[in-house]
Amino acid sequence: GDSWGIFTFLCAALCNLPALPALNCSEELGAGQSIQQTYDLTRYLEHQLRTLAGTYLNYLGPPFNEPDFNPPRLARAERVPSATVDLDLWRGLTDNARLAANYRAYSRLLCYLRVLDGQVGTAELRHRLAHFCASLQGLVLSIGGVMSSLGYPLPAGPAGPPAPPGAHAAPNDFLKKMDDFWLLKELQTWLWRSAKDFNRLKKKVPPAVVTLRLEARGF
Amino acid sequence: PLSVSPAADPAVISPQDPTLLIGSSLVATCTVSPDFPLKAEDLYWTLNGRRLPAASYAALGPSTLSVALARLNGSRQQSGDNLVCHSRDGGILAGSCLYVGLPPEKPVNITCWSKNMKDLTCKWAPGTEGETFLHTNYTLKYKRRWYGQDNTCQEYHTAGTYSCHIPKDLALFTPYEIWVEASNRLGVAVSDVVMLDILDVVTTDPPSDVHVSRVGDLEDQLSVRWSSPPALKDFLFQAKYQIQYRVEDSSEWKVVDDVGNQTSCRLAGLRPGTVYFVQVRCNPFSIYGSKKAGIWSDWSNPTAASTPRSERVAGGCDPKGGEQNTTLRRELKQFFGWVKKHAYGCSNLGIKLYDQWRVWLQKSHKTRNQV
Repeated sequence: GDSWGIFTFLCAALCNLPALPALNCSEELGAGQSIQQTYDLTRYLEHQLRTLAGTYLNYLGPPFNEPDFNPPRLARAERVPSATVDLDLWRGLTDNARLAANYRAYSRLLCYLRVLDGQVGTAELRHRLAHFCASLQGLVLSIGGVMSSLGYPLPAGPAGPPAPPGAHAAPNDFLKKMDDFWLLKELQTWLWRSAKDFNRLKKKVPPAVVTLRLEARGF
Repeated sequence: PLSVSPAADPAVISPQDPTLLIGSSLVATCTVSPDFPLKAEDLYWTLNGRRLPAASYAALGPSTLSVALARLNGSRQQSGDNLVCHSRDGGILAGSCLYVGLPPEKPVNITCWSKNMKDLTCKWAPGTEGETFLHTNYTLKYKRRWYGQDNTCQEYHTAGTYSCHIPKDLALFTPYEIWVEASNRLGVAVSDVVMLDILDVVTTDPPSDVHVSRVGDLEDQLSVRWSSPPALKDFLFQAKYQIQYRVEDSSEWKVVDDVGNQTSCRLAGLRPGTVYFVQVRCNPFSIYGSKKAGIWSDWSNPTAASTPRSERVAGGCDPKGGEQNTTLRRELKQFFGWVKKHAYGCSNLGIKLYDQWRVWLQKSHKTRNQV
């Protein structure tokens, strides 16, 4: 369980070193292996998020950390991409579209998380957030690597810095707390969804490639 | 499935995100937006998830409900207490974060040290015994006396929570003024100014390569040798040293103070056949000719050695345990001697290694017992 997570994170972190989206890692290993790695990374992040969210929601205080808390999503600019999608639509996604949706979503989520990192109060939280952002960056690169190895172009991401930080900022502290709550919720939903996305992709990659690689690694 | 979100915020709370002193009272109002079909009697308040008593409410208008909060305690979390206005079915209409606390007190006990005159690290203590309940920021500032500009330290938490490290651009032979500013939403407090010259607070690395060995067959002596810390060569200071040593199973250190600036010393009056742990530390003094002493370095890692015991001494005052120990050591020595002769590549194996192992064992026992 845990050692798997650490292994995949380390790989993603190592692949993090060059700033290019195409991973040396995945090109060597082939699409099948990188899809598996990306899947494992989403599970690891899901696990990490549970601890981070727990700490962060306790920092926000009740009612935010109550299990049944469900505030309204007020009509402010739809900043955070939603993971929920019609089931038939989801099933019908092409591999390219599926990967691109994940890539775009995590790139945006990463931006918002980084803003959060700059504002948060306690040293412990900043430390956890920084660690999580690093892992999430690894996931974005991993997805980019899968796309490249399958020959898909990377989506024109949120290129360059997003709108000036003040632009989408909540008008008061309480609304900001609500935004933070929803950011964490969306992250959680995306990680659940991605696990299913990558599971689906795993099945579609030519099995021959996967078997060869597995044998070569002696698993 | 999410309900249709309205264009405007459903309600407005006043005051929005106020900052208050502990013990103060507050009257907050929730005004429902005209687009919403809610009346004052359809509303209720919660504070940090707990419903506030209806007795503290008052309707100030058809769609405005107020709540009175008296003698507020310090905020439950530093992100602010959550005061929320709800509609009857529990839905959230608006919220306000209350920051209730105390202004900071003057930070105190500023102490600084410079490693080899290259940098400056300072630490301090927050003035308040208890909490301020608000997030408090500390800024260490410094400037050369009589020279304009205030500088701000950037690298915090290097030696604990309340510390800061200034890595470069420090001048020697000039007094610095150093102080710490604490600030939070309720105010600012500035510590007293500490004045120092970098040369007055210099420390250095502990001595390296500490070796402890026997003096021939002398049963009550050990010879200690070490290397001066590397920085000694680069800077114009002298070093004086201090040694401390103890018997293996005692926690009482004996200190040898008059070591001077030699890099060796002989310990005498020791017990025969006993393992001793020895540490050395260094104090840079007479820096650039000043008569003052610096700050003692950390102690070097403990080094162990044992005094010899002549075989002819018959037991003496040692308890049975001591005897067993001696026999064991004797056998081990003989074994290592044999190994050296007959095994290749085991040249590091020896009684010295065994002694180091015993130091390590003591240390790990200590930490285990501390838990």
